[in-house]
Amino acid sequence: MSSNFWLLLVPVPTLAAFMTLAFGPFWLGPSQVRAVALAGAWLTAALMLAASGVCASGTCHLLAPVFTVKVGTASVALALILDPLATVVGTTVAIVGGFVISYSLGYMARARLADLRRFFAYMNLFLGAMLTMVMAGDSINFFLGWEMMGLCSFFLIGYNMSLPRAFAAGRKAFVITRFGDVLLLAGLLLLFYEAGGVRIDALVNAALVMPPGRRSVVAVLLLGGALAKSAQLPFHTWLPVAMAGPTPVSALLHSATMVAAGAFLLARFAPLFAATPEVLAAVAMVGAFSSCFGALVAVFQTDVKRMLAYSSISQIGFMIISIGVGAPQVAIAHFVIHAIFKSLLFLSAGDMAYAAGGRTDIAALAGSSTRRPIAYFSFAAGAASLAGLPLITAGWWSKEAILASAVSAGPLGEILWSLALIAVALTATYATRAVLVGAGPSTLLARPPAVPPAGIATNAPLVLLAAASLAGGLLVGPIVRFLGAAEPDTPAFSAIVGAAAVLLGVSAAFALRRHPHLASRIARARKVRQGFRIDAVYQQRFVRPFRHLAYWLNGVRRGGRSSGIVDPLGAVPVLGIVWLVRRMIHWAAVDRVDRVWMRLAAMVPELSSFSRRSQTGRVRDYALSLIFGIAALLLLALKSPRLPWH
Amino acid sequence: MTDQSLAILLVLATTLFAVGLFGVLVRRGVLLQLIALEVLLAGPALAFIAAGARRGDAQGQAMFVILLVFAAAEVAIGLALYLRLRRCADVSDSDSVSQLRS
Repeated sequence: MSSNFWLLLVPVPTLAAFMTLAFGPFWLGPSQVRAVALAGAWLTAALMLAASGVCASGTCHLLAPVFTVKVGTASVALALILDPLATVVGTTVAIVGGFVISYSLGYMARARLADLRRFFAYMNLFLGAMLTMVMAGDSINFFLGWEMMGLCSFFLIGYNMSLPRAFAAGRKAFVITRFGDVLLLAGLLLLFYEAGGVRIDALVNAALVMPPGRRSVVAVLLLGGALAKSAQLPFHTWLPVAMAGPTPVSALLHSATMVAAGAFLLARFAPLFAATPEVLAAVAMVGAFSSCFGALVAVFQTDVKRMLAYSSISQIGFMIISIGVGAPQVAIAHFVIHAIFKSLLFLSAGDMAYAAGGRTDIAALAGSSTRRPIAYFSFAAGAASLAGLPLITAGWWSKEAILASAVSAGPLGEILWSLALIAVALTATYATRAVLVGAGPSTLLARPPAVPPAGIATNAPLVLLAAASLAGGLLVGPIVRFLGAAEPDTPAFSAIVGAAAVLLGVSAAFALRRHPHLASRIARARKVRQGFRIDAVYQQRFVRPFRHLAYWLNGVRRGGRSSGIVDPLGAVPVLGIVWLVRRMIHWAAVDRVDRVWMRLAAMVPELSSFSRRSQTGRVRDYALSLIFGIAALLLLALKSPRLPWH
Repeated sequence: MTDQSLAILLVLATTLFAVGLFGVLVRRGVLLQLIALEVLLAGPALAFIAAGARRGDAQGQAMFVILLVFAAAEVAIGLALYLRLRRCADVSDSDSVSQLRS
């Protein structure tokens, strides 16, 4: 098995780049920082491509053990694995990561050196963490990678430290995903308890022989973790505010890769979910509602990044639907296509917003087709793929596969199918709307400051991703087959209705453009734009009571005065322990033996002062005691029988 | 050498030792204590020589030479200390420097 050792090297370049940038020499200049970041990302991408080549050419179940610890009957065996799922997802992550980091070279050109180091260090750490999670063969590596991703997400959302909004957004994302992480950890620990091992295949096998009740509990816990990470209803509120981070961060973490990790988790444990039909149905319904909700709210957005964020919620909802109807392979295919076109959309929108003076509202995009033609046309290509224009875009093929897998999944499937159709139509509407605004004449009142033209580092990823998001449809079938499932055969009526929904959505966008009063009515619909104010409800129901509780526990009472006992919950055990210890000492302190001992201790100072009296410091006294000593020695010598004069 | 003359010499040596010891113990001037110490050392030296002569052995004289070296070293250190005391603290009384500090 040691021949698979190279597998462990795959995440290493990114981690090495992180170490170099975070703890390395301080004299690195800006160009060297960029070179290190780029080398880390692309070396990993090259290794991942080599791994996928190995995987595509032959057997695709490689395993590289890290180490094994046996504790009692449990065996903790850490390993990285390379199976078709890890290959597809890992390759996508590595390549999209490489593109995004290349793009960041130009996008972050004006950042201070320290900020640049911080940014690229966390980006590389994120890539390493995500690949570790994707290739994890055991729950420990999986959870480590999962948590590291959340940490990087926190740091990168709050990248702009002078912006309190960004910091609050990072904290919100961290807390909400942490809530899900706890559920995930509980699920993984229950599985570990059941299986006595940490290998994922062992966990899944153990889950299959569990009693159904406990299996459902585990499935629900894992589902909670996945939903929080993937920003699905009811945990979706962190994703739109997370757009406070820089655009490359949004492109890599908060749309293409990290957010979809929940779908990956569900796909990884797919056999477990397949054995719990009721949880699977819940998964599908959550996905369907999230996709409809995200698409509907995205239509009403005025900020392009927030629109794309709600779009991510919606698109990941599609993946979750597909997992819910028992076709995780199709979900992973959509993951790949979505990673391509959504990162493209973010990157090109970032470039257009940069040219428009840093404004990210959709209205400011107007005139981008002349200001930034390459970015605009690649945005259009990405939006076409997102909308799923029939036949010519990648998004159509993956979405059609999802619809087909839903429609052939029984009575629940048809409900899901119709909900997904609504989401498809709405998706086409909002995607087309942004493109149409960009094509129009510039509406900026003040001319934006002249910015340098985008360099090759910015444009090359855009063009390549645009090409992939149009032609990537050819990948859908091979990916599904590679993951070991038959491609769902699309019923003709499903394909026709799907295409009709897309065209309906596109024409709705044109109608919005043609009739401004409709558009203005949409612009007034603040309630929908704010995502039905679910965020505010959470703030009212959970955050404020929790904060009150925290203040109360800290001894802050109404009116700002502090009470006597700070932190009663924490103080009670401490007081109890103090009381207990005092009782024990009291019992020993009044004992007679103890008193004798204390008297001995009290004698020590007297004894020492007595013995100190012999040290007079006078030469004559010392001489006298010397003589007495010698006399005593002589007397001893005279008494001793061994000496020759006896 | 007869036993009788040996006995006389040993008594003389003991007397020298006792006189020296007495001087060290009762005098307080540092210089006089050093002189008394020399007298004290002369006692054992005489005893060594007398014993060596009685046995017809040169070891007694060798011990005397060693004692001379000891005495010289002791006088060197003692006089150096005495000079330092006189110069820095202007004392010649050994009891007044019992505190090991100024």
